[in-house]
Amino acid sequence: MNRNPFDVRGYGAVLYKELRHVARDRVTLGLAIALPIVQVTIFGYALNTKVEHVATAVLNEDLGPASVAFIDALRASQTFKVDHLVATRGALMAEVVSGRARVAFDIPPNFTADVRAGRTAQVQALIDGSDASIAQPAYGAATAVGGAFLNRTVPQIDVRPRVLFNPGLRSANFFVPGLIGVIMQLITMFLTALSIVGERERGTLDQIMVTPIGALGLMLGKITPYAIIGVIDMLLVLAAMRWIFAVPIAGSLVLLITLSLGFLMAALGMGLLVSSAARTQVQAMLGVLALTLPSILLSGFFFERSLMPPVMQWVGYLIPLTYFFEILRGIILRGAGLTDLVSPVIAMLALGAFVLVAASIRFTRGSSA
Amino acid sequence: MTDVAIEAHALTKTYGRRTVVHALSLEVSRGEIFGFLGPNGSGKSTTIKMLCGLVEPTSGEASICELDIRKNGDAVRRTIGYMSQSFSLYSDLTVEENLEFYGRAYALPRARRSKRIDELIEFSNLAQFRGQLAATLSGGWKQRLALAAALLHEPRVLFLDEPTAGIDPVARRDLWDLLFRLSESGVALFVTTHFMDEAERCARVGYIYDGELIAIGSRDELKRQAGVTPEGTARYSVGGRDAIALLGIAREQPYVRDATIFGDQLHVVVTSDVAAERIAADFGVAAANVEHIEPSLEDVFVALTRARLRA
Repeated sequence: MNRNPFDVRGYGAVLYKELRHVARDRVTLGLAIALPIVQVTIFGYALNTKVEHVATAVLNEDLGPASVAFIDALRASQTFKVDHLVATRGALMAEVVSGRARVAFDIPPNFTADVRAGRTAQVQALIDGSDASIAQPAYGAATAVGGAFLNRTVPQIDVRPRVLFNPGLRSANFFVPGLIGVIMQLITMFLTALSIVGERERGTLDQIMVTPIGALGLMLGKITPYAIIGVIDMLLVLAAMRWIFAVPIAGSLVLLITLSLGFLMAALGMGLLVSSAARTQVQAMLGVLALTLPSILLSGFFFERSLMPPVMQWVGYLIPLTYFFEILRGIILRGAGLTDLVSPVIAMLALGAFVLVAASIRFTRGSSA
Repeated sequence: MTDVAIEAHALTKTYGRRTVVHALSLEVSRGEIFGFLGPNGSGKSTTIKMLCGLVEPTSGEASICELDIRKNGDAVRRTIGYMSQSFSLYSDLTVEENLEFYGRAYALPRARRSKRIDELIEFSNLAQFRGQLAATLSGGWKQRLALAAALLHEPRVLFLDEPTAGIDPVARRDLWDLLFRLSESGVALFVTTHFMDEAERCARVGYIYDGELIAIGSRDELKRQAGVTPEGTARYSVGGRDAIALLGIAREQPYVRDATIFGDQLHVVVTSDVAAERIAADFGVAAANVEHIEPSLEDVFVALTRARLRA
């Protein structure tokens, strides 16, 4: 009743008790520290989008020198691991259907003859499309091997690409910086939402509401410990990135950390927003997931945003993580400075401030229901 | 300064089309223990929450020590203490830390804070548990801690929502002793309860049914109220044999207007021309087992509720 949503009184009192809650809940604290380490390991080591050593089966009906040279070219490409040589077309299909091979090449009987005669020599490549992440690069590599094979006889334009910023095209360089944002959002949203809804569930929120503690004082007091945990998590992932995965930080570390604090504000705000709507901890968990999954999928963590349909791109503009990814990859991989990142920085901070204010107002109103 | 601690006028709360509290008016004086009774879901907690500023009234006015609850929310919060239905302190904090938190919440300066914490630990006899986690306290001690936390800032009005629910009889009595001491020091207490013996300890009692305050007054006023023991009837307690058997007999007697089992006794309301001797004969018990009685508060509430249901 006639509460001011920006009343910060009671901050110290809430912080006093909240720090004790966090310190005594060793399990949660442990998980909050362990989770980033587990995620970094998974994303850094296991998740590899560079397609190499794809299991490949070959049916060589030709057996001439040109066909043997072609198989050597496949082996040399690094993309294909030719370890299944079969004798019939049926066996070739079976390799693919069973999943033992992702790609199968069928070299027809007249292959060597065609090459010698200077005619177009054909090779059929069967590609398992059930795993799109492998199929696309395999398709490209198969075409490239074929092209290169021809080039030996007919010299064409020689393209020599140079990849900027991540020359090895290593997945870790792409995913681990983004992981900083994902982990900060997950941990802080979960902890904040659960902690506040937990008080509502236990009835302790009413007991607080009869004291002169202000709405903002309560919220800030509750989120401060989780903000600290969020910063620790960020530093952990940053350290793992730098020293375990040897991803160099091209830009300014100070700028990176400062802008991370801005993102933290947005993530905490979203946690508060969830907690102002949820009545039970289960609702709060589902609410956090409902916000986090689209954040991860639409913000460009896995999938390139420019390839998405326009509606999804627009949704992505409303997600703070989208801008934070641009900032993270910009600073860490491209060495971008503040002037290069003006628009994502402004957008992220504006979204964060909006979420925080909305949560604060909702909280004052919602608490008396 | 007047003696009025709580004043409510036509206080109403509706959720959508459902009226939870309808035009409730009451007054509680300084140092008074006011018992607020009613069945579950009748609007007791909502009334308390409105008076404490946790729920905004739909219409009507209320003031605490002459402070309007709508306009002076902040001053009201400093004047009242609130002890909610369930234990609403922190199990993972110690007794002392819980008190420290509430001391800081009310922004008591350090020296006053530690003095008040000492006083209240003494008052509620919690000294032996001072450094112990609240989770390890039994129900009665938890309620004492909750009471202590609600008193740190020396409120002049204390709201207690079923403070003794789920605690043992000895702990209940101890808690009530503390409440009497508070009332003697001038604190007004607004207590909801389901226990009739607790209601009997209150100076004044209000009874809310289906959102409406249908009776309010001192115990004696309520017991004399029309409709409790209707004109031309008298109230007897019958004992000496199985109460359920007695109830069966009561149903067959044309002069019995009302019968309710109270423990091993049956309370009957009979037309006043029937003598105690005849009742004893009809019920097959010794004359000493039939006693003319005044209505208890429970009789009052049962009678009022039944009258409502018939209306």
